[in-house]
Amino acid sequence: MDIRDELKRRRIFFDGGMGSMLQERGLLPGELPETWNLSHPEAVKEIHLEYLRAGADVVTANTFGANGFKYKKDEGYSLGSIVTAGVSLAKEAVKEAGHGYAALDLGPTGRLLAPCGDLDFEDACKAYKEVVEAGVRAGADLIVIETMGDSYELKAAVLAAKEVSSLPVFATVTLDERGKMLTGGTVETAAALLEGLGADVIGLNCGLGPVQLLPFMKHLRSVSSLPLMVNPNAGLPRSENGRTVYDIDARGFAQAMKAMAECGVSVLGGCCGTTPEHIRRLRETCGPLPLLPVEKKDRTVVSSYGRTVILGERPVIIGERINPTGKPRLKQALKDRDMAYILNMAASQEENGADILDVNVGLPGIDEAAVMTETVRELQSVTDLPLQIDTSDVKAMEQAMRIYNGKPMVNSVNGKKEVMEAVFPLVRKYGGVVVALCLDENGIPETAARRLAVAKKIYETAASYGIEKKDILVDALCMAVSSDKNGAMTTLETVKRVREELGGKTVLGVSNISFGLPMREHINSAFFLLALENGLSAAIINPGLPAMAAAYKSFLVLHGMDENCSGYVEKYGQEEAARKAEQEARKEAAAGMRKNGSQGTGETEGSGVPHGPAALEGDPAETPLKRSIKKGMIQAAETAARNALLSADALTVINREMIPALDEVGKGFEAGTVFLPQLLMSAEAARAAFGIMKEKMTKDGVERENRGTVILATVKGDIHDIGKNIVKVLLENYGFQVMDLGRDVPPEIIAAAAVEGHVPVVGLSALMTTTVPAMEETIRLLREKAPWAKIMVGGAVLTEEYANSIGADAYCKDAMASVNFAVKYVKKI
Amino acid sequence: MMEDGVRRSEVFRYLGYGNRVPDEETGELAEECIKELLRVSEERICVREFPVTVRDGSLDCGCFQTSSRSLLKNLGGCARVLVMAATLGTGVDRLLLKYGKLFMARAVVMQAAAAALIEEVCDRNFESWRKEYEEKGLYLRPRFSPGYGDFPLSVQKDLLGGLEAGKRLGITLTEGGLMMPSKSVTAVIGISPVKGFCRTEGCEACEKKDCPYRRSLGQGRET
Repeated sequence: MDIRDELKRRRIFFDGGMGSMLQERGLLPGELPETWNLSHPEAVKEIHLEYLRAGADVVTANTFGANGFKYKKDEGYSLGSIVTAGVSLAKEAVKEAGHGYAALDLGPTGRLLAPCGDLDFEDACKAYKEVVEAGVRAGADLIVIETMGDSYELKAAVLAAKEVSSLPVFATVTLDERGKMLTGGTVETAAALLEGLGADVIGLNCGLGPVQLLPFMKHLRSVSSLPLMVNPNAGLPRSENGRTVYDIDARGFAQAMKAMAECGVSVLGGCCGTTPEHIRRLRETCGPLPLLPVEKKDRTVVSSYGRTVILGERPVIIGERINPTGKPRLKQALKDRDMAYILNMAASQEENGADILDVNVGLPGIDEAAVMTETVRELQSVTDLPLQIDTSDVKAMEQAMRIYNGKPMVNSVNGKKEVMEAVFPLVRKYGGVVVALCLDENGIPETAARRLAVAKKIYETAASYGIEKKDILVDALCMAVSSDKNGAMTTLETVKRVREELGGKTVLGVSNISFGLPMREHINSAFFLLALENGLSAAIINPGLPAMAAAYKSFLVLHGMDENCSGYVEKYGQEEAARKAEQEARKEAAAGMRKNGSQGTGETEGSGVPHGPAALEGDPAETPLKRSIKKGMIQAAETAARNALLSADALTVINREMIPALDEVGKGFEAGTVFLPQLLMSAEAARAAFGIMKEKMTKDGVERENRGTVILATVKGDIHDIGKNIVKVLLENYGFQVMDLGRDVPPEIIAAAAVEGHVPVVGLSALMTTTVPAMEETIRLLREKAPWAKIMVGGAVLTEEYANSIGADAYCKDAMASVNFAVKYVKKI
Repeated sequence: MMEDGVRRSEVFRYLGYGNRVPDEETGELAEECIKELLRVSEERICVREFPVTVRDGSLDCGCFQTSSRSLLKNLGGCARVLVMAATLGTGVDRLLLKYGKLFMARAVVMQAAAAALIEEVCDRNFESWRKEYEEKGLYLRPRFSPGYGDFPLSVQKDLLGGLEAGKRLGITLTEGGLMMPSKSVTAVIGISPVKGFCRTEGCEACEKKDCPYRRSLGQGRET
């Protein structure tokens, strides 16, 4: 019988620890336990039998750490034979015992996935598939994915299990005492991800004992709609003479687990330190307890690696800025793959209170799938806000959903048969909350009743794919009120009726409403409030617009959704204080002017050129722009840059003020009077000012002279990129185009890039002694393939002498030295 | 300055200031970074005691073997060792990654603050183990990490395996053998029956005498 059917009828018991049992039988420290499947098969089978006799329904094959990273090709035992033997031993034991199921066991790969580590998501997925394929061939009854501390790796494992098998998937994660997974996930993020991916049973294992895990399991029960399982350790570990021992005996374990059964956990077992005796007691104690039914939750939730956002409670803000429509600067950034610009847009929306970020990179002539995946990958490395993948390109949608680390929002599907057939299978496979536009083959319905009919049709079709109503967000469609005077009312009616009549949740792209009208913010904020009042679940807006933020914050206060008005006060308390302080200052200034006999009225007119006390410092001839760059003041530099453009063109400002300021700071750094943080703060201020210049030059159709291209890379095997990134910031400020190949870059890629762009200067960085050979190899290859290229190297372990010995053209002891080298070399050609 | 466990003098030493006092803006930036760092840092540490044996000049520390002469010297006279691993977790790496892309000055200061913090975490734990062992009449040698002297990084795999550091702390190795999360430390601490003064500590044990970040004698260490 399929274990999923059995689970509907009765409680299922898992086995306990395997590693400690093997150690008792002579497994040596450092020896891979899975090797015993071939070297000591009887011992492994005997352990399975002991568990089955003690009352376990499922025995977990000894394949936890079996993967291609630990069992490499041509090194000792083959991975396939280890996995096959592991599953076969479990199956033999089940046959001999006359009852039970054999589970293929998947643990962590032992490697950390990018962006924090160096393992690519698809490589992790591939590694798991290899194990699953062998396990399925050997006849496993189910797949257990356990002890996962990283949600991204967990996703790779579940996808692999689903893509190459149809076996039931039981997935459990490990938490620390704070309730956090190793890479920041929580009970809620894990539940969202796993339910989205279609796991059959989810829960927790390892890490802690049953007492410590109980509150987390209760939390999981309160958010999850799936059967739950828990395999705790035998309490907490301590070290005794170099051996790990646990603090709960079998009886205590069984007692503590009773509370798990009573709070609704259907599958019970043990992990580290638990023995057949623990399982026997567990079954004795919890076997007779009634199985509580699984409770379906009407929870609409999206997640990132470390955060969930619930839709349907407090209205949710989806930041709309990352969308090139009507934004020439973003269009340019997307064409140039200028990720820094996009990441900054994300950061500022996060600061302004966005809960989710919309990501739309659709531009004619670009490879949308490639740009979308790159953007999602980059965004999820700098923000933990969940993302809304916004595209009509199905390929881009699928690839982005695949590499997304969590349960995404997907924008969008609609009532057209063809679109539903393309989008719903993706939502079914990868999980997600999908935005459903109330339109179909007949166009956009003009009445709310007909929009509801389309919504109903979408719900029904989704259900046929196994997608529940809670995972659909109906877009009531917001049309320009300037072209249809009843448009806004129809939209609002739809929002209200979807909620009241269909029990559904809604979303709106709010700012469409004011298209074609002046001062759009007036209409937008008024309509936004009306929509919120009609029960809107989520709004796609620009949270940085003061009127929208004010409407939203006020709504929350007035609806009792802002406890103690703290959110409102946090946002506006300081603003009011600042305004008062400014008024006071004006009054004082006016009073002072009166005292001095001038004609002040109490109000000063315009700010004009600032004459702050800072102007008195240093060289009196120094311009505000130069000064703010030297001091590393970003906002001041931006303001000064705008002011400077009033009286000079961009290139003049750059050459007369900005470059001299950077030079001065650079010289100070070389002389030891300016330190690295100051050098970089200046560089950031300059970069901000360059941003203003760039805007102006794009408008005027002028370009800053490109001083030449420089390739930068951290060599293969090294993942430290801070030094390389410092060099990059400075080189860009000096007008070089930097081709940043990233970290851990193989020699062939660096050489190929140098050849393709006929690049004159290559900068290589290595921080570790162990990676200097890779640098040497890269230089050798560059000399062969790109003999024209000048190579500069840097990094903590390098010296002038070392750099010479591996054949570099220059050793750059710091970032300024790299700039000087690049400047000098480019001048020569 | 020490309440939050980050020695400001160490942060600025890592930033290349030596003994010089930073300007006000950098000082403020450092304070902001430390605050943000402490919000995401999730310190995890584990330690196990192993017997240590020497055979033909090769050391067996229970979970790894090495023929490192510097470690042999450091552990002279010790029959047992503590093997430890500590990390600040992946949250700190995410922060470094984020500012590496958004705001380099902050990334650099954050990096220095994180380096100071992980050292502090190790020192704090060392101190409590030192007291614990002294009560038993045993004395701890200064901690000695792979990478010091000729103690090779190649022991990391076995050392971390012996501590189950992957599962318990989330410390993994990259293909090139580097620890991830990046702000992680492993070390060996000799347990000696005699109270002895051992001069060589981490930084001072290093052969790279011209390093600009080298701790000068009598500086930085607040004991």
